[in-house]
Amino acid sequence: MALVTIKRNSPQHIAIRVLGVLLVAIAVLWVPTKMTTGNIDSMTNALALVIAASALNLVIGYTGLISIGHSAFFGIGSYATGVLVSKYGWGHGWSMIFGALLAFIFGFIVALPALRIKGIYLALVTLAVAVLFPTMMKWPKLEWLTNGARGISGIRYEELPSLPFLGELKGRDDRTVFFYWYAIMLVIITVLVCRGIVKSRMGRALIAIRDNEIGAEVMGVNLATTKTLVFGVSAALTSLAGSLSVARTGVVTADGANLTLIGSIVFLVVMVVGGAATITGPIIGALVYVWVDNYTRTASASGDGLIGWLFDWSAVSPASIILSVALIVLMFVAPDGVFGLVRRLARRVAVIK
Amino acid sequence: MTSRRIRLVSVFAAGALLFAACSDSDDGGGSDTTASETTETTEAPSGAWAVSTEDCADPDAAVAPISGTLKVGTVVPLSGGTAALAFAPVAEGMKAYVDYANENNLIPGVTLELEIGDDQYNKDLTPTAVNDLLDGGVQAFTGIVGTDGNLAVRDTLNEECVPQIQVLSGSPSFKDAENYPWTTPQLAPYDVETKVYAKQLAELFPEGVTVGLYHVNTEFGLAYADTLKEVAAEYGIEIVEEQTIEPTETAPPTAQLNALAASGAEAIIAVPLGSQCPTFMKEVANAKAANAGWDPKVFITNTCASPLILGVAGDAANGLYTSNFLEDIGDPAKATIPNIKTYLDYMTARGQADIVTTAAAGWSTMEAAVAIFAQAAASEAGLTRASIIEAARSLEHVPMLGREGVVLKTNGASDQATAESLTVVQYNAAAKTFADIGSLISDFES
Repeated sequence: MALVTIKRNSPQHIAIRVLGVLLVAIAVLWVPTKMTTGNIDSMTNALALVIAASALNLVIGYTGLISIGHSAFFGIGSYATGVLVSKYGWGHGWSMIFGALLAFIFGFIVALPALRIKGIYLALVTLAVAVLFPTMMKWPKLEWLTNGARGISGIRYEELPSLPFLGELKGRDDRTVFFYWYAIMLVIITVLVCRGIVKSRMGRALIAIRDNEIGAEVMGVNLATTKTLVFGVSAALTSLAGSLSVARTGVVTADGANLTLIGSIVFLVVMVVGGAATITGPIIGALVYVWVDNYTRTASASGDGLIGWLFDWSAVSPASIILSVALIVLMFVAPDGVFGLVRRLARRVAVIK
Repeated sequence: MTSRRIRLVSVFAAGALLFAACSDSDDGGGSDTTASETTETTEAPSGAWAVSTEDCADPDAAVAPISGTLKVGTVVPLSGGTAALAFAPVAEGMKAYVDYANENNLIPGVTLELEIGDDQYNKDLTPTAVNDLLDGGVQAFTGIVGTDGNLAVRDTLNEECVPQIQVLSGSPSFKDAENYPWTTPQLAPYDVETKVYAKQLAELFPEGVTVGLYHVNTEFGLAYADTLKEVAAEYGIEIVEEQTIEPTETAPPTAQLNALAASGAEAIIAVPLGSQCPTFMKEVANAKAANAGWDPKVFITNTCASPLILGVAGDAANGLYTSNFLEDIGDPAKATIPNIKTYLDYMTARGQADIVTTAAAGWSTMEAAVAIFAQAAASEAGLTRASIIEAARSLEHVPMLGREGVVLKTNGASDQATAESLTVVQYNAAAKTFADIGSLISDFES
């Protein structure tokens, strides 16, 4: 029983929403103005995960199609940027758009088996995509394009755009802040696209497919179109994260963590940790995941503080152990993800009807 | 109304994206164009190599005197996989040498502080680790591990004009003084190591030899493969089979070894990666057992020559050939050599006698870095970031743990790698020591 009941679209409800938006805006502005460059860079890394996990959420969380092949879509964005910038002199922005189009087509094709199979069998198909992608990028016959196993380096955003309100951008501090805003812009696009889909007729179709595929078809949902489209859109959004990652580091190799199966697993973990089938979940999930990961690595490397004291006996850094245990505990405490937990707790205080 | 607002914001965001895309004046020239725009190297009037600081993000900081404390940073995989097991002792070796240098006042008037970041051998995490260390006031980096991680921060460190010395990668990418003057390598270049093996094979098989090539399918493995193909004819080598393995592969390379055995290669040059090293060694032993009469000489990359890795392989590692420019710390016969005794005594006093063999790589890396810092401090300009990189590019240092005759030398843009002399050694699994095969090979010094 909640302490307070608030009527939907009442002044109190609107005030809470405005407050929420204000708090998010303050947090977004606080990062580049108050944080250290390292932390801003870390936040940009988290934002790339927000994009990938939000895109995956469309497919798994809302549609119920299991995909562990999203690392390949991340890779398409990475390689599109790497190849087009280094070999054909394209700008990073255009290469990102091209990568998204390419990923859309590829995602559309990958979704075709989803018309026939589902569950663990679909997961296996997408697993094959994840495993095949790095091998394809290293295929000797594609070496003229992808540079094979050597990968492509020296392709970072060299000349940052000179926008009137930003002034001349130079040095790592400016560069890091630029990439933060670049990532924020991509996150906004991703969230708006995801929200737009979820709140639309198509979103209702996705949820219907997830909850009862036969029922959805009976109700007139075109399964083929809906599944392939959502897969395509999800792939395109994931590729944005890949392009962002390459623009930030300037290096793309087929064995980069996010381009392999490990990447797919990380996107999945981020989505589940935050809360599947919610727009806010992947955002919270990425921030929590990156913060815990960074904190444990940094504290373990320095050997200071509680972690240093607790794990003094360990010859190697306990960062991975702590992260794994934290995730297991989190899944027990918050099976619906961090956002689910927050929502559950908030409902004890107030409900909106 | 709400959906209309959302659409409007979407259009605005997409427009902003497009604007950023169109405003991007990247010429797409990759590393060549990029770096030459960032920094230029110049020859000083005296003829010595000198670095230009005019294009640095903060030119004054690059030549500002460093006094009191020099903060040195490194990034090592300390967690996240098997690489952590191999590199944790390396980091301990670095820490030990920094303490040793401070206690012995090796840089008069300057105290060294070592800050270590952990990137889990993931290049996406290296920039954050480096940025964190720069935020903490690190003035020079040394011994960052891995090709991809170093590549991911090379642009930033060169733009900031922060020395990135003693890069722990033998990739030829790091011998690029023209485009990346602030970056210098430490490991013996992979091409040099391959030539050393080719030369040794020519001595073992004067009539010519058939070789099977086995390498990980990355830039690391290809550096060896390309060099071997380039010099094969010169040394009477015929490459009869080439097999690769993906870096993420953990299963034994049975099919690859079967193919190598079927080729009847008289020797194998092998470049597996990390935990693949012992798996490869065990599979070679299995293949030999299954193919009576096939007993190739196996030369394996010296990145696999860690006692930790060889220990996992056990007897299967017996008789392997590899190379080193450092003495075999694990050999009791070498323990009386004064410099090695100093090292062993120091590590034992710290309670780290159990990691002396693996920590030696970290000790040596930091020792060379400290020699560079000391040389920079003694220079006319005193200790600055610019003088550090100039010292790194004009080094002549005899390493404490180096084999007799090894001198770490660099000379501006003409000789950029420090370690280019290697001795081929053969592993004895029972004694856990290496026996020298021939003398130090210095033919490939730049």
